[in-house]
Amino acid sequence: MRNLAALVFVGGLAFLLLVIFNQFDFAQAPMLVGQGILADAPDRVSAANIVTAVVLGYRGIDTLGEISILFAASAAAGLVLGRRRIDARRDPPGGFILRSGVALLFPLMLVVGFYIILHGHLTPGGGFQGGVILAAAFFLPLLARPETPVDHAGLSIVEGGAGAVFILTGLAALLQGGEFLQPLLNNGVLGELVSAGTLPLLYLAVGLKVGAELAGLMACLADVEVDEP
Amino acid sequence: MNTIVLTVVLPLLAAFIVPVLSRVSPLLGRLLGPLTLAYAILLTLQVWLGMEGKPFSIALGGFQPPLGINFYVDRLSLLFTFLTLVTSLLLWPWRNETEPRQYALTLLLAASACGLALSGDLFNIYVFYELISVASFGLAAATRSGAAFAASLRYLILSGLGSVLVLCGIAIVYLQTGTLNLAQLSQLAPETLNTPLGLSAFALILLGIGVKGELFPVNSWVPEVYAAASGRVSGLLAGLVSKLAVLVIVRLLVLLFQQESALHLMLILGLLGAITGELAAWRAKDMNRMLAFSSIGQLGVIFIAFSIPGETGLFAGLALSLHHLLVKPALFLLAERWWGSLAGLRGAGLASPVAGGLFVLLALSLVGMPPLPGFWAKFLLFTGLAAQSAVIYQVAIGVVLLSIVIEANYLFRVVMDLFQPAEDDRATVVDGHGWLNLGTTFLLSALLIAGMLLMGPLGAWLEGVAMQAADPVLYFDTVFSVSAIH
Repeated sequence: MRNLAALVFVGGLAFLLLVIFNQFDFAQAPMLVGQGILADAPDRVSAANIVTAVVLGYRGIDTLGEISILFAASAAAGLVLGRRRIDARRDPPGGFILRSGVALLFPLMLVVGFYIILHGHLTPGGGFQGGVILAAAFFLPLLARPETPVDHAGLSIVEGGAGAVFILTGLAALLQGGEFLQPLLNNGVLGELVSAGTLPLLYLAVGLKVGAELAGLMACLADVEVDEP
Repeated sequence: MNTIVLTVVLPLLAAFIVPVLSRVSPLLGRLLGPLTLAYAILLTLQVWLGMEGKPFSIALGGFQPPLGINFYVDRLSLLFTFLTLVTSLLLWPWRNETEPRQYALTLLLAASACGLALSGDLFNIYVFYELISVASFGLAAATRSGAAFAASLRYLILSGLGSVLVLCGIAIVYLQTGTLNLAQLSQLAPETLNTPLGLSAFALILLGIGVKGELFPVNSWVPEVYAAASGRVSGLLAGLVSKLAVLVIVRLLVLLFQQESALHLMLILGLLGAITGELAAWRAKDMNRMLAFSSIGQLGVIFIAFSIPGETGLFAGLALSLHHLLVKPALFLLAERWWGSLAGLRGAGLASPVAGGLFVLLALSLVGMPPLPGFWAKFLLFTGLAAQSAVIYQVAIGVVLLSIVIEANYLFRVVMDLFQPAEDDRATVVDGHGWLNLGTTFLLSALLIAGMLLMGPLGAWLEGVAMQAADPVLYFDTVFSVSAIH
């Protein structure tokens, strides 16, 4: 009976959504803000990747909100997970192939991760994407050697510090008489590595924060006690 | 003036730092949160005195709206920023010495609530709404009992569904108008959103945000979460988070969806919420569940009030919201003292007369006994409803009256039980941290009495707040006069 009710509900909802969907005239959507930003961004922010200009410039406070959401999620998961008895069993260490693969991949992934973060204002990518790669890099050793202790203190320092750098950069602009999160420094030449003012710095903070948070989250998950065989 | 952004940013900064600081010095870790909130309250008061009642807008990052995001500061948004900070300070989790994460989550909740009150951009509101959701999942699970985990998992799933609905609604609005800035939308809305598509966008946003506002069909998480979470967290969720959700919906109604059917939709859901909530509370067997269901009922009444068109509705809704924000957390704090089944409460009021007396006072105000503030709020609601000609508003009068009768019945039943002599000695349920909760309840009740004594000036002032908030033209002019100057 319950399943039937759920089916009717979902069917009705799908029908309503289809009716709504049918009313759109696609490809005709007005692009008021989109066109405005396309015209305004290159001179104003001088980030070759215009998505970055939107993410860290025009909608910087949204990005601050998003990294706070990640922070909240990892804090909430930390509250729930990550309690284990001292004598609880751990997963056995990985085999030879996993361990040597990790040794090879780890430095490579670090380089790729930082490359993507630091070139976020030039090419597709940026702090979020690069941060996820960094987190994956730090999770690999945990897979190969589950008995290695996780440095939760270090992670929380990177996490808090990176978040603080993001906010303090914004506050510095406020102190100089501008608005919160106003880009500082010279815009530089469009397309060069050192350009777009403080945007690369902000993206570095985002990348480190995302990386540390996801790594911490996965470490919490890996720390869950293993079932007795 | 642009220091108002610090009320959002400083709690965020403190939340990021507090886990690290607590490792270095536990004492500083415990003090950081309350000090930050106190400083933010000071800043809000400063801005309040500086603005002289005139609304203004600040462009974040120096990017002028509609391209960038702006914060819109009028008396309504400042009022809610102030209330957010004060409530989070009053309901601060003082007792959790060992867990800096709970401090961080409370700070995140406060920051995002301020953001919701101030933001002038639809998607920015969504981001803060997500932040307040995630922070409240963590807080709801913080007691670490099995019941708390189960309740927060259910809360998480329902809230996730709500977020998807909101996002769909925002996508429809963006597809129709090409902008997310509330001021610009208020100008475009009469032509582009006054359609069935616009109404469906409103319905999606209403249902999605309604999850936090305990709106009728999406409130099944409420009783379980409030029964399992600590009194302070329940107070925060029922008192503060629900009001912010309502505030967002009201802003969108005033600015974007000025159509009669949108108001009627909200009215019907509010009616259903009021009647089902009160009936469920009447049948509830333990204290926290009773308060949770009655909170659903009262939020239903608040939704009814806000669905009266024009500033009368805003005025009545604001009065009811403020009253509920004051009374409900106080009741939850008292309930933590009397945890468990209602039948076991016999004689508890005789055992601690102060708590019993406070409960009677709060219950009387909740029901609407003159001359307590609850009466005036309900009085505004009835005069507002009676002035409308549509039949549905007349029906609403009957439903609200019925819900008050039910509410009075179960609250007085509890009061009678509290002051009956106990049958045996198991009734004296007093738990360890009584004085802190009792002190906070006492403070909230004192505010209630102060509100009663200053009812005249308070009412006039609140009417001014409502008048200012009900004016979409003022909103537009304020946001775009700034860009004209620069």
